[in-house]
Amino acid sequence: MEKTELKHVIKDWRLHAVAFILVAITEAIGLFSITVGPGVILLLPMLYAFFLGLILYFTPVISEKNAKHAEPLIILGVTLLIAKIGVTIGPQIEAIIEAGPALLLQELGNLGTIFIALPLAVLLGFRRESIGMTHSIAREPNVGLIVNKFGFSSPEGRGVMAIYIFGTVFGAVFLGLIAGLLATATPLHPLSFAMASGVGSGSMMAAASGSLIGAYPELEEQIVAFAGASNLLSLSTGLYFSIFIGLPLTEKLYSIMIRRTERKAAKGGGPND
Amino acid sequence: MIKSIMEWTWVLAIFGAAALIGNWFGMDVLPWQALPGMLVLIAVSLVGLILEKVLPFRMPAVGYIGVLAIVISLPWFPGSDYVVAWTSEIGILALATPILAYAGISVGSNWADFRKLGFRSFIVAIAVFLGTFLGSALIAEVILRWQGII
Repeated sequence: MEKTELKHVIKDWRLHAVAFILVAITEAIGLFSITVGPGVILLLPMLYAFFLGLILYFTPVISEKNAKHAEPLIILGVTLLIAKIGVTIGPQIEAIIEAGPALLLQELGNLGTIFIALPLAVLLGFRRESIGMTHSIAREPNVGLIVNKFGFSSPEGRGVMAIYIFGTVFGAVFLGLIAGLLATATPLHPLSFAMASGVGSGSMMAAASGSLIGAYPELEEQIVAFAGASNLLSLSTGLYFSIFIGLPLTEKLYSIMIRRTERKAAKGGGPND
Repeated sequence: MIKSIMEWTWVLAIFGAAALIGNWFGMDVLPWQALPGMLVLIAVSLVGLILEKVLPFRMPAVGYIGVLAIVISLPWFPGSDYVVAWTSEIGILALATPILAYAGISVGSNWADFRKLGFRSFIVAIAVFLGTFLGSALIAEVILRWQGII
């Protein structure tokens, strides 16, 4: 945040005018829902706003400089979002404490990544990159952890950066789309998905919980409170889960899988790449 | 420090104005109706940003902001009724839309990096996000059911 001078950001009226217009137009359009089999995909104003903003970047309307100036607004906008979530949690503190065990343990949901995505990454031909890729959902603290341990230009570093970039560009949109769909198409309770909405960054949580609210408006307060509490918990404990559980487990599983792959290759018949 | 506070206030005010417009067009809440709530949120954010700079702990501002916002809205905190009533005029989606509008504008500059990722990375990334999200939801489901909350 220190790199871009806030003074210039504040005076970038062109950027703010574009953002204000995007918000006004997309909010006026409102929500659309598309039925897909048993579930519903929700198209929310924030998704249109994201894609329209991205498109504008490639037009003369938005310059490289405007794009750089948008960053502090995201960071400070997220602080307002967190404040709003906080004041939604307060009145429901008893329900949150009651749901404490679930909130704490769902942090282990990262293990789902390791068991699903790691084999897939190895199968697709990634080697040590796959450790960086699949040990977590790769937000800033995890990029820090991997870079700290393996170095930025290591295979692990390249891996974590790949997922980080995907998350930065598409994380919120992706979670926004699948949250509503999974909550309506699977038998799991919307509040379980609300807790899962907190796994990543603030904007990912907003997108995911937003689409849950679109599907279950009557649960709005609870969805926000559970998603927010889970996100705050991820912020404070997520890194330690990665250090002590996620990363060691990924490395262990990786070495087992690689040994098996190599043994198979040694027996002959394996693909020689 | 005073300069930083002034600048943060400006940026928060600009963002807040965008959110009030969204709140108006999307939820039909007139901007002056939602203004007191927005001022509360801006004040909480400012205090959190200041605490991050002043206090010696290595906690990010959002950590302070979350805790502070929870405390001032607890039922036994004096004046919490007002905090809750005012801020409830602002929908969470009204805050999310400007974040993603600015994010869309901003990620364009990451687009070149993104295109270099390749198809295989893209597949793994989707598996990572889907795996984490579903994994968390499954664990939450099991425990919430076991506790009888859902």
